[in-house]
Order: sequence, then structure tokens, then C-alpha cells
Amino acid sequence: MMPLALLSPGEAGEIVAIRLHEEKKSCCGQCSGERHKSDNRIEELGLRAGKTVAMLNNGAPILLRIDEARIAIDRSLAMKIMVRRVQ
Amino acid sequence: MSRPLTIAVAGNPNAGKSTLINALAGSRLHVGNWPGVTVEKKEAQFDFAGRSIRLVDLPGTYSLSPYTQEEIIARDYLVHEKPDLILNVVDATNLERNLYLTMQLLELDIPTVLALNIFDEAEAKGYRIDVKGIETMLGVVAVPTAATKNRGLQELLAAVIATADAAADRRPKALSYGTDLDQAAGWVTEALHQHYPELAKRYPQRWLACKLMEGDTELGKEINLDTTTLLAEPLHHLRRAHGEDIEALLAEARYALATGLTFEVLRKPEAPRREITEKIDRVVLHRLFGIPIFLFAMWLVFKLTFDLSSPFGDWLDGMIAGPFRRWIEVGMGAIGAPDWTVSLALDGVVAGVGFVLVFVPVIFAMMFFITFLEGSGYMARAAFVMDRAMHTIGLHGKSFIPMLLGFGCNVPGIYATRTLENPRDKALTALLLPLMSCGARLPVYVLFAGIFFTHSGTVIWSLYILGIALAIVMGLIFKRTLFRGEAPMFIMELPPYRMPALQSLLIHTWEKGKHFLIKAGTYILAVSVFVWFLLNLPWGVESKRDSYLGQTGAVMAPLFAPLGFGTWEASASLLTGVIAKEIVVGTMGEIYAPQADAEDTGPTPTLGEDAREMVVSLGGAFQAAGHNVVSTFGVSSLAAEDEDGATPLKGAVRSAFTPLTAYAFMVFVLLYMPCVVVAIAMRQEFGSWKWFGVAFAYQSLLAWTVALLVYQGGRLFGLGG
Repeated sequence: MMPLALLSPGEAGEIVAIRLHEEKKSCCGQCSGERHKSDNRIEELGLRAGKTVAMLNNGAPILLRIDEARIAIDRSLAMKIMVRRVQ
Repeated sequence: MSRPLTIAVAGNPNAGKSTLINALAGSRLHVGNWPGVTVEKKEAQFDFAGRSIRLVDLPGTYSLSPYTQEEIIARDYLVHEKPDLILNVVDATNLERNLYLTMQLLELDIPTVLALNIFDEAEAKGYRIDVKGIETMLGVVAVPTAATKNRGLQELLAAVIATADAAADRRPKALSYGTDLDQAAGWVTEALHQHYPELAKRYPQRWLACKLMEGDTELGKEINLDTTTLLAEPLHHLRRAHGEDIEALLAEARYALATGLTFEVLRKPEAPRREITEKIDRVVLHRLFGIPIFLFAMWLVFKLTFDLSSPFGDWLDGMIAGPFRRWIEVGMGAIGAPDWTVSLALDGVVAGVGFVLVFVPVIFAMMFFITFLEGSGYMARAAFVMDRAMHTIGLHGKSFIPMLLGFGCNVPGIYATRTLENPRDKALTALLLPLMSCGARLPVYVLFAGIFFTHSGTVIWSLYILGIALAIVMGLIFKRTLFRGEAPMFIMELPPYRMPALQSLLIHTWEKGKHFLIKAGTYILAVSVFVWFLLNLPWGVESKRDSYLGQTGAVMAPLFAPLGFGTWEASASLLTGVIAKEIVVGTMGEIYAPQADAEDTGPTPTLGEDAREMVVSLGGAFQAAGHNVVSTFGVSSLAAEDEDGATPLKGAVRSAFTPLTAYAFMVFVLLYMPCVVVAIAMRQEFGSWKWFGVAFAYQSLLAWTVALLVYQGGRLFGLGG
């Protein structure tokens, strides 16, 4: 298991866990430890446990392919998403 | 004929929803706002197969959760207005994610038809989609469409009507969310029926049950009812088996259905082709080349905008100053109108409104290219490459899109800030947005740069870049003062590159540009008349300098003297430009208008000669525009070919300014306070004048300081004063 941000371009990983709220100060500032807006945004765009994502562009920000969509996310967010590398 | 069918069109952003609606409705589209908010509402009414159909376009959303204004609008409409049918536009190249919204739509128990849009691209990728399978599993009709190619639209409308007619037995299937959830939902529904039959009648039952279990805050506010006891039992069971977060549990169930369905109906080719979009992205989003490419793209947009539009602007200019002016003069003379009304019409309305209308071609060309960038998918890439730069000013890439829209007009840019989830982002973005040079500032640049600079396109481009650079500086300052704290999370979809359909390109260009025409006919007309009176009062005033406007301008002029344009004419123009920045040019037009009686009395062309001249010179304009585009690189089309000053305004400006003071003046116009319409938009978006006050204060200061630096710095380097 490794943070998504550590995948190289061309590699793919299966999302194992999304650890957004472990450090409270790192999220949006209105966080009360519960589910909030940004969680939904992430899931609606297809980032959730069990999905396989491909790294297209590992810079700042990061560009992923999830199914047929290209989703851009912050590096810091990608550090909180744990993946298992797949071939 | 039966009553019109009301059809709500719902779908993800980027699913081709608006292209589909444009293709179905064409010019019958009516654009308004959703009540109470400024989100655009599109409607169209037309007949098909003898039936009257009313399409209502819902904002594009990924779900129906109550987290953004778009989502709330969409679901309020569906739940409360109860349309006859939902037309769910689904991106066939990205089924799974799109079907997640479909799952939520089906909860509403409204007859639904799926448009499997962008089907042509899905086929081109080698996807095989089992349309029958989708229909069977969801219990709705699905029609493959390709809106950009007008494919499948007749079939779609036929399916819509057939489904609506058979509404009673064409309800979508109630899909299972798993035993536990189904059971809990069943209990809630039953309890609602017993204790609150009113409520059960008002809302779709399954939807109501799910939302109550999720603890939906918006719905809670709406029904204003304590449902704790009602929900206690079912929630207790669910929580024991599945954990605390019921909202996540339901989301999970919907995803599972969408994923399962996609797995069943979609066959992808073994080795997917490298997508063209990804190939382009590898260049366009490159770590080093990304930003230079973006800057080049913007430069190209401005260059093309001016090259294409300037011949038409010149043509309009000639027409308004020439034949049009003459006809009004002759016409009013013929009916014996008093002298002062002739002057009001010619020096007020024609000079004021006319000089603004001259810039309609350039504004429309600009809107066209901005629309093209949006439609092609490049806009989102711009946000991506600018993300890192935006972080330095405490924002992220997504804030860049409202700013880019601001280049068209700041007002939609301000409204677009609502797509930002965080209030801090929203306020900071809106504060920096007026530094993005809007279309209304263009007339000023075009006039001045055209007169004073050979490479006017590049000069104008430099002003846009200056605005961006100053936004960065101000952002850095704000980040350390008013807006401390981290930039929040960035997450955004980059749509695939597409060639936008010409029809929807034209429709959206028109929608963006027409506000300028409306403005010209309302405000600018009113201000022009007002300015005429200020210029001609007190009654019988000898020179314009002694008029009320001249006096006011003269009082303000010393303030601008250190900036190089301390004339009463410049001051007065800037003052009136607060209403809308193109009025700066309008007012100058009036101030420098020739006295009606001083008109030379050469042989007046006849009406017929005038008309022929108009047509011939319009042909010339087309030719020049074509020529400019072909030789885009290196040609200075806007340069003052008409050296002798075709219009009195150009001549007067040439003698009143130098290249250096002209540049300082343009810088000032770029930066000084946002116009009244932006002020109102900021008031609406933030519910107070606070942020507008901040914008007003910092921009006035910034404009003065930077213009000062330009002028005094230029003099220091011997660029002439």
C-alpha cells in the first residue's frame, strides 16, 4: 500500500483507502471530523475504494485517469489516498 | 392538441447536455435565470409529431446531494415542479459515473428516458454498449444519440413522447439497494404513511425515505419536522450492521448499482487505443511547456480577435460617422426639429452610443473565442496548468476559470465563483477578478492602441498580462493579510477535447455578447444623453470646457496630472466610465464630436450612393478580415492606416495623448474601480457591500500607483512625455 501520489506516470493502482480526516487541520477548515462536502465531490468523480486509477501526469497537480474521465487533484490530496499497485 | 409535455433535461457536466438541447431546440431556446438565483435557466418550447414539448434544462450536476447551488436547483425543480418526464443525458464514453446520477434520478419515480449521448465517440473507441440491457435493467427507454452530428434526435423525441403517453406503466423500476437498506426504507415509508400522510403525498416516497435516512439538511429545513422517533428504529438497525454513516452507505449502494450495470452492458476492446486527448494533454499539460503554451494560446486568441474584427469595426465606424449621421441630420432637418435636439441626437446619442457600437464586432469575436476555449475543453487545462501559480496566491486552479470568464465580462465571472465550495476562495477570487481585463475595456484599448502603436495587438495583449501579473501580486498581499490559511483541496474533471458544434458555439457567443448590445441600448444610451446635457449646461455654454462636465473634469484633472493625462476630457471620461468602462470611449466621442454647424458643406452623397458605398465597403471588410487571418503573424492590421484621422475622435485623441500617456491611460482604465454592474453582482453574491468596498479601495489605489509608475518610469527612460 502506498500513497497515490507516489505512482509514476503510466502506472495504475487500486484505491484501498481514503484518509481525509485523520489530521483535522489539513482539510477544508470547516471540518468537524464528519463527512462533508469535499468527500462527496471526491466520490462523485469516481475516487473511491475499489476503483483502479491510472497516473497520467505526476506533477503538481496530479492528473489521473478514472474509467474514461481525467481527474485533476492536488498532490496533498493524492498523499491521503492509499493505493495498491496493479500491473 | 394535448397539453405541452414538460421535460426536465438532467445530466453530468460535460455530457453534451447543452449541445443536445441546442440541437433539439435550435433558435427556440429561451435563456433566463432560475428564480432567486443567477444560475442560467434555459427553456425551449417546440412541436414534434403534433405534440407541444417544453424542455427545461437543469444545471449540470454529478449528483443530487444538496451541496452546491446547482444540485439544489436541479432537485428542487424535479421534486417540486414534478415534470412529466426526465430526459437524462448520459455520456456513453463514461457510463459508470454518469449512471450514478441516473440512480438518483430514478429514485424520484418520474418517467425517465436516457439519451446515451456521445455514442459516436464510444463506438469509435470500440466500445460495445448493450442498449437493450440497460433498458431491461433500469426499466427505462435508452436511445443512442450524437448531438454534435444530429444523430438519434428524432428517435429520442419519439421515445420521449411514447414514454410520456404510457406514463402510468412506464415508471422506472425500483432498484434494490440491498436487503438492509430496502427494508429500512420500507419501514420509513410505512411510518410516513401512517403519521404524515401529507408529506408522503408531497414527495416521491423512495426518495423521501432515502433522504430522511441520509439526514439531508436541506430537506430537513424544508419539512421542518422532528423525525427522530420515526427514524430511530430503522437507523438503529442499519447502524448496527453497517456503521454510523448512512449517507456513505446509500452512496455506496448507488455506486454498486452503477458499477454493476456498467459491468453488464459495456464491453471495452482489449487494448484501448491511446486516446488523442491524452496525447494532446501530454504536451499541453507539460511541466515546462504548459504555461508557455497557455500564454501563446491566449496571445493567439487576442490576435485573431482583433485581426478578424477590426475591418468590421472600421466599417461600422465609417458607416456611423458617415451615412448614418448624415441621414439623421437630413431627416431631422426635414421635419424641422429644433437645433438642440439635432445636437442631442448627433453629438449625444450617435457620438456616444455609436462609438460604443463600433466595438461590437471585436466584443463578439472575443466572446466567440472564449466560447471556443470553453467548448473545446482547453479552459479546464488552463485551470490545470495555472494551479501551481494559483497556489502561490492562496487559491487553486479552479479559481482560474471564473477569472478566465472574466476576460469576456467580469459579471459572469463573479457569478461563476459560486462553483467554488469554500467561502474564502470565493471572496478572494471575486476580489482579484476585476483585474482580468473584460470586453468592455477593449474599446478603450482598441481606440488608443490603434492610434499610437504599430503592433497594437501585442500592446493590448501586454495589458491583459499586466492585469494577470497584478492579480498575482495582490493575491500575495491578500494571502498574508485578509485571507490567511491554506488553499483548500483541488479536484476537477478535465473533459476530453472536442470540436465544438458550430451551432452551439454561435448560440453561446450570442448569449454572451448580447448583453453588450442591451447595455448599449439602455445604460449607455442613457448616460450618453446625460453626458450631452452635462456638456451643454449651463444653457448656452460657449465651450465644452465651461460646461458642468468640463468643470467637474477640470476639478479632477490635477489628480491625474502626475499620470500624464491631467486633462479635463480624460478625467470626465474616466468619471462616466464608472457606469461601464466602454462609456470612456463614448464620452470621448461626445466631447470630441465636431460641432454640428461646423460640418463642411461639400456635395452630400445621395441615399443611393451611400447605400452602395456601405455594401462595397462591407465586402472590403470581409476581404480584409480574411487577409488578416491568413497572414496572422506579423501583420499589424489595427495600425492606423487612416493616417489623416478618419474620425474626429481619432484625430483629437492623437493630439491630446502621446504613446506613453496613452499607455498610462489604458493601464488606468484596466485597473480602476470595477463598473457598477460588477458592484451589483458582488453585492448579490456576498450579501453585503463589504467585498466590493475592498475591491473599490485597493483598485483605485493600484490604478493610480501603477499608471504613475508607467508614466514617470517611461519619462525617466526618455520615452517622451
